[in-house]
Amino acid sequence: MTLPLDSREWAIVRKDLKNVWHTKMARLTILLVPILLCLVLPAVYVTVIALVPEEELAADAREIAALFAGGEADTVRRLLFSMIGQMLGPLFFLMVPLLSSTTAAACSFVGEREHGTMETLLLAPVTLRQIFRAKVAACFLLSAVVELVSLLFFSAVMAVGSIVLEAPFYFNGNWAVLVFLLCPLFTVLGIIFMVLVSGKSKNAMEAMQTSSYLVLPVILLFVGQFSGLFPAGPLYLLIAAALAAAADAVLLRLASRAFTPEKLLR
Amino acid sequence: MTEAVFANGLSKRYGERLALDRLSLSLSPGSVFGFLGPNGAGKTTTVKLLTGLLTPTEGACSVFGLDPCREPEKVHALCGVVTESARLYPQLSGLENLSFFGELCGLPRAAARERAESLLRRLGLWEAASLAAGAYSTGMAQRLSLARALMGEPKLLFLDEPTSGLDPESAQAVNELIAAQAAREGVTVFLCTHQLRYAQDLCSGYGILHHGTLLALGDLSSLAEQAGCHSHAVFRLGQGEVLPGFSLQEGFFRRPLRSEEEMPALVREAVQAGLHVYEARLERPALEDVYFRFVGHEEGGRADDTSA
Ligand SMILES: Nc1ncnc2c1ncn2[C@@H]1O[C@H](COP(=O)(O)OP(=O)(O)O)[C@@H](O)[C@H]1O
Ligand SMILES: [Mg+2]
Repeated sequence: MTLPLDSREWAIVRKDLKNVWHTKMARLTILLVPILLCLVLPAVYVTVIALVPEEELAADAREIAALFAGGEADTVRRLLFSMIGQMLGPLFFLMVPLLSSTTAAACSFVGEREHGTMETLLLAPVTLRQIFRAKVAACFLLSAVVELVSLLFFSAVMAVGSIVLEAPFYFNGNWAVLVFLLCPLFTVLGIIFMVLVSGKSKNAMEAMQTSSYLVLPVILLFVGQFSGLFPAGPLYLLIAAALAAAADAVLLRLASRAFTPEKLLR
Repeated sequence: MTEAVFANGLSKRYGERLALDRLSLSLSPGSVFGFLGPNGAGKTTTVKLLTGLLTPTEGACSVFGLDPCREPEKVHALCGVVTESARLYPQLSGLENLSFFGELCGLPRAAARERAESLLRRLGLWEAASLAAGAYSTGMAQRLSLARALMGEPKLLFLDEPTSGLDPESAQAVNELIAAQAAREGVTVFLCTHQLRYAQDLCSGYGILHHGTLLALGDLSSLAEQAGCHSHAVFRLGQGEVLPGFSLQEGFFRRPLRSEEEMPALVREAVQAGLHVYEARLERPALEDVYFRFVGHEEGGRADDTSA
């Protein structure tokens, strides 16, 4: 994939974004996921730990928190606060690119089959490669915006938390790798996965369901490992990113090979 | 001069089924070609092969010298295609749809919008310009599809049954637009249709396809000759008068002609014989007659559809 896109590819990108926006299910997912995962849930969590009296925070919470936050935090409140910053937050944060990119790709690739518009698109004077690039770019752009908004939401909540609890701000080297490497790589993974299953789904809804049956267990497994990996430091995260990048490269090749008129119109 | 459409031994097999069997065809630029045949004859398959949506099992084809399989985008830059299965985006408005495809044809955004607007006006869709295409009636959607195919000002139009399923008014609107395109200098039209009467008015050449095999190719008079359909001399005479050698059908005396050259002599003889000739005309075989000679009535199916 080489950027920049040409004007025809941009036309496809704009059209795809409009289409996602006009699809109710996709619009809801894309609006609700960042709001719920990166604004409402963290805000509720932070409010609870800020308001509940220190003595009522259970002793085992103290232990768990100490385990994940290392020795830095001193009070239970601050331990629990660093837990959302360094454990739950990253977990939520990886769900965002996967959910937004699979939703966008379901609209962009499967929706096109569903509505019989793939043939019309193929009859336009653009190459298959251009169509593929533009569609991947549209899904990627949309996910990037969703991630950015999520980052802003989460940062706002955590900034308020830091001030109220007098605890350090959450962002660190781990987060930099997560936001700037792992999230984009996971976005691409979600898109390509959807392209690969798109041939087997009749409509965008079904594709989104397929993705939740197939992808979510895999993600949960991965994310479970990941939450243990996260405190281990940026090096391990970089290794994870390298693995994701390799998976992306292989799957991208497979997906673009499956992208032929006869396969798309079957 | 490169042929607008060229096919040589073009075949397509779907699994066991041979949908198109060694089609050979060549159309010069500017011609208006009617591709006729009952349902399942292989017309759509041919259009999809010529536009690169399918790869041939055997044989080769080209459009203005370009291979539709190797360089589909170059072929699509020259031709507009309307098929039943190529839909428009239901969530986008008619105007958004056309503008989008205009941009894909390489027009800048403003120019695409301008052309989209002028086509919507010409097709009587202006009132529905901002309505989502999914809410269009069948006739409106078909006109919008035709407008979409015209966005790139194509030199060649592939129209696969553009009026099937339309009410007479919509069908007429579509037909008028096709006729206007066909009349334009240098525009080639490849029209698959069931509307034989309409095709006869519009097309200069025909191909008759049946079970994937091209049965006949040529203009109407050569097809009539191949089919053994003759022109007829037809007379209407005064009460009680008879014309020897003619058969009386519904008040008209008819006789097949070997050649149209016979006609003046027949008229002269009738007048000289003192008959009251109220009417004398030469009846050429209609495309319909010729078509059914080739395809056979029982299998013609919807071919006698005369909805417009
Ligand atoms: N995708 C396909 N798979 C299998 N058979 C097909 C397919 N498309 C068309 N056919 C068969 O090929 C034949 C020709 O079809 P088609 O080209 O659509 O005919 P027409 O357009 O003249 O009605 C038909 O018998 C049809 O059943
Ligand atoms: Mg057909």
